[in-house]
Amino acid sequence: MTQQIQLDAVDHKIVEHLRSHGRASNQQIAEGLGLTATTVSSRIKRLEDANQLRVVAVSDFSAHGFNFLMRVMVEVDGRPASQVAHELAQFPEVFATHIVTGRYDIDMLVALHGLEDLSGLLLEKFSQVRGIRTLVPSIVVDIVKYQFDVAPIEARS
Amino acid sequence: MVDVQVDDLDLQLIELLSRDARVSNRKVAGELGVTEGTVRGRIKRLQQDGLIAFTAITSFGMAHKSRLAFISVQAEVERVREVALAVSELPMINAVMITMGEFNILAMSLFDELDQLVETASDRILDIRGVHHVETSIAVKTIKYNARMAKITNPGDFVDEGE
Repeated sequence: MTQQIQLDAVDHKIVEHLRSHGRASNQQIAEGLGLTATTVSSRIKRLEDANQLRVVAVSDFSAHGFNFLMRVMVEVDGRPASQVAHELAQFPEVFATHIVTGRYDIDMLVALHGLEDLSGLLLEKFSQVRGIRTLVPSIVVDIVKYQFDVAPIEARS
Repeated sequence: MVDVQVDDLDLQLIELLSRDARVSNRKVAGELGVTEGTVRGRIKRLQQDGLIAFTAITSFGMAHKSRLAFISVQAEVERVREVALAVSELPMINAVMITMGEFNILAMSLFDELDQLVETASDRILDIRGVHHVETSIAVKTIKYNARMAKITNPGDFVDEGE
């Protein structure tokens, strides 16, 4: 369970430092911010334990051999959208699934190794999910900006 | 697309560091059965090639960025790149992609108050020269999101002092 904790100015400073210097040692962070290494270490641990913070390696799509990105908007019919979304989220190619307001019910981001994977994904995988009325795919031809520093954080197993 | 050379050891290293980037090189070396020097060298190369970056991810709901919106834009075809760049420079825009389809730009925005979204999407984006139409939808529930995989567009923004 996620417990809500209050962050103070020191927590925010440490988090900001970690955003650009994720692997800096506690000592290096402490020196930069005028704190002690023990304080830095215990603050980071407190935020991590409360599932408010993760310091991670983010890897580029291409490191995993994913050369194509596709946005797929889904219109659902005759079935709860969350059930359809949960089934679609099971496929490893689908790396983001959101239930959205507006014309479509689900907005997904899909990563593909190559365009040859497209037919299998649409015809063999997505088509097996009940309740999809329409799938509207659009291929990403260029990523101009991609900067996410917040995300849902799951408890560590 | 660049031709990327990533072997099994790189992928194991990425997997380990994607769970917790603050583990020491010594511990990583022990788990993967290689030397600390190998770990240090591999990390440096992956960073230089723009394949990994180390960063802090905070929970949705913290720090004034609690909601996600998809802003779909129809822009004049001959201006699509300049429009995309102009959108990417707006505050609160986290991602901008050029796409093929009904919309030729998808922007994603993390926001806190609806007013901010209205200002970004309906006022500022619609005002950019070459933009015909904007449609906004708000993510009301996130079923899946893998924040450990991304497009690393500015490898130079991330620095690793290492050990």
